[in-house]
Amino acid sequence: MEEVIMMVATIDLILCNGCGICVNSCPCDVIRMEKKNKKATIKYPEDCMLCELCAKDCPTKAIKVPPVKPQQLLLSWG
Amino acid sequence: MPLEKVVETDVLVIGGGMAGCFAAIKAKNKGVKVTLVDKGYVSKSGQTPFAGGFLVFNPEWGHDLDSWMNQINNFGEYINNREWTKTILEDSYSRYKDLISWGVEFLKIEMPQSKSSYPKRVTEALCIKENMHAGILRNQAVKSGIEILDRIMITDLIEQDRKIVGAIGFPTDNLDFYLFKTKAICLCAGSGGFKPHGAWPIANLTSDGHAMAYRVGVEITGKEFEDYHGHSSNSRLQLPGSKSPQIPPRIGLWGEVPPGHMKGQLFNSEGKEIIIREDLTPAFEANEGYWPFRDEKGNEIRSVNGAAPGLAIHTAEGILPTNLDCVSSIPGLYAAGDNLATMFVGAFYSVGGGALANASVTGTRAGIAAAKYAIQTEKPKLDENKLIEMKKTLFRPIERKGGFTPKWVTQLLQNLMIPYFIMYIKNGKRLQATLTLVEFIRDHLVPKLTARDSHELRLTHETKNMILNAEMKLRASLFRTESRGTHYREDYPRRADPNWLAWILLKQENGKMKTIKKPIPKEWWPDLTKTYEKRYFSRFPGEKWKR
Repeated sequence: MEEVIMMVATIDLILCNGCGICVNSCPCDVIRMEKKNKKATIKYPEDCMLCELCAKDCPTKAIKVPPVKPQQLLLSWG
Repeated sequence: MPLEKVVETDVLVIGGGMAGCFAAIKAKNKGVKVTLVDKGYVSKSGQTPFAGGFLVFNPEWGHDLDSWMNQINNFGEYINNREWTKTILEDSYSRYKDLISWGVEFLKIEMPQSKSSYPKRVTEALCIKENMHAGILRNQAVKSGIEILDRIMITDLIEQDRKIVGAIGFPTDNLDFYLFKTKAICLCAGSGGFKPHGAWPIANLTSDGHAMAYRVGVEITGKEFEDYHGHSSNSRLQLPGSKSPQIPPRIGLWGEVPPGHMKGQLFNSEGKEIIIREDLTPAFEANEGYWPFRDEKGNEIRSVNGAAPGLAIHTAEGILPTNLDCVSSIPGLYAAGDNLATMFVGAFYSVGGGALANASVTGTRAGIAAAKYAIQTEKPKLDENKLIEMKKTLFRPIERKGGFTPKWVTQLLQNLMIPYFIMYIKNGKRLQATLTLVEFIRDHLVPKLTARDSHELRLTHETKNMILNAEMKLRASLFRTESRGTHYREDYPRRADPNWLAWILLKQENGKMKTIKKPIPKEWWPDLTKTYEKRYFSRFPGEKWKR
């Protein structure tokens, strides 16, 4: 299945201080650190479960989690 | 080239929630080497970061054991494990004191009583201040000198000559191979669901602990009882058939729950807010949109449920304990928390804070027993040939060039298992039809799952475990030809005493899933000279209703 890009959370790259706490906060392994700019990035948005642990733990309040998550289309093969 | 890392330890604890942290800390106190491993990060793990209620039984506060037991027996429809019910109640105060000594603060809560005329509930719980326990448990584990390995997913246990000798896994950040050589294992990797999105936060929980234990031949029980946590959602996948409006699907996790309140922000399918009570307002999205329960006057109880499809009520499902030390039928394999089926509350959840109390009590008992076992046990020697095969299976989805994505297979499973007319309103024909499809997925899609990186490798193993969980749930639900507690069969809408005063065990034999009926001890039966209406105070739709 082609990856459907849909943002379930956003990280404000100006506020993000690159501490990496959110990577560990996420129970679903959605967030990783970007090597180039040393900032957090939402690498696997489709696996977010909207639990908000990342937003709660972020020391600079850089992460916003919206209330709903778009659903993927169901395909015949994937 | 992926690295092979070998970790040698005495007690390996898998899963870092409440049960896992207690198990690790208590085992370490016995002077053995303890390694705590989690596929996420210990303290952000399992259901623990989202749980707040903690049941404490203390006669000095005026609590009466018999009346607490009676409540649980009656609401649990008599198939709770009374030895465990008593043990968890009696041990809960010591675990509460442990948590206080580690720095956890508690608030008193007023448990709401149902306005209906159900029997009054007597059990009480305290509320953990601001869900502070998860972080404190990690700190305590670090202080105790436990080796913590975060972000490593264990995929399989190694069993040799009917003994547990190790486990294998990989980190979610790269493709190294981890081999754990250990004398004992405490499985605390919870239960799991089918990754509901935007509902109860359990998408990281995929019944890994149950699946690993099942694959080495351990009996699993309680799979037919459904969790009834409530929610609202804009998603028709979670609330099929409902006219649910676009309401944020939150359950009042952060900031929305005033301290000292158990209230969650929930809405019914007409968008009206409902107040969840941890009693008999379980309410599924069921017949015409509502859970199939009626109060004593025959009125429907209306609220929306089914936020955690795939999950059984806490403490009901998991490894069958052979004694009060939480040991499975395989020496060296212990379990705790929702990985262990203590059947503390039976077929229905009538207590507040029971899950965390159960997790701390069983974690403690499992940790101590595993440490004692490890002290008496020789270092295991592992069969290298078996390991090579297991390693190949672990990494096969990465090496496979084509195949099916875990995302797609998970989505198929969700579409089969989540709609209300499969696992909430059950019917033999529909269960059988769904089982046929799940078996197809098991036989034709699971062997061809592919992964592009370590994150997706985790997803493939989670998918495989969820499909096993689905098969277990369907087989157990088909086998129990009655309705009881949170298991409702529209083709068998009544409790069948004494025939089904029993548990269902699922066990792998010659590659097939076998269902076994295990009757509960006769002394736990309800008084069969009483009428059915006196034994059971709630009715299922389809039952003849006597006022």
